[in-house]
Amino acid sequence: MSGNPLYILLCSGEHEKLQMAAMMASVGAVSERPVEVFVSMNAILAFAKDAPPEGRYRGGAFSHLLKEKHAPDVLTLFRQGRQLGDLKMWACSMALDVCGWEMSGLVDELFDGALGLTKFLSDAEGGQLVTL
Amino acid sequence: MAERHKVDARGAFCPGPLMELIATLRHAQIGDEIEVWSTDKGSAKDIPEWVKKVRHELVAVNEGSGYWRIIVRKAK
Repeated sequence: MSGNPLYILLCSGEHEKLQMAAMMASVGAVSERPVEVFVSMNAILAFAKDAPPEGRYRGGAFSHLLKEKHAPDVLTLFRQGRQLGDLKMWACSMALDVCGWEMSGLVDELFDGALGLTKFLSDAEGGQLVTL
Repeated sequence: MAERHKVDARGAFCPGPLMELIATLRHAQIGDEIEVWSTDKGSAKDIPEWVKKVRHELVAVNEGSGYWRIIVRKAK
């Protein structure tokens, strides 16, 4: 039995918002809820394949705490959501174009492909949309 | 014969204990029990809520010695 689909529009590159998006996506997906995440703007930078580990996540005071306390890693949470539930991730085609990136420039085995905002928003009409 | 699997998720932050439970459930047999140890305050409520939503069985939630012991039976 599938629940109401959850659509997450992830634009912020702030660590705290990336963390919340990853938590929502993974928990939603393992709770029998289809989840789709659309990654654009500053958020796409955190998914660069060649980002240095210490520079991948940038944020404020809470970001420091997340790192200090070894909270679950953002990429790991998204991967768990994909492995254990119905989670799809899309890279914004505009953001890829602006960065001059191909899909191969993003971390491996996380994205289902590139997608335009129009298609994502159209799909999201059938569920709950959250923007971070 | 049903087995009990232990998941020591003490020290893991939300949603780590839940994810470890689910990963263990995937490889368990129907009727097996998974006992999760968690220091995450949310687990005592989050895990029972998840169990109810996805229709497994909650056996017990016990608090003691600074952590929770949450026992779940795989029902499907």
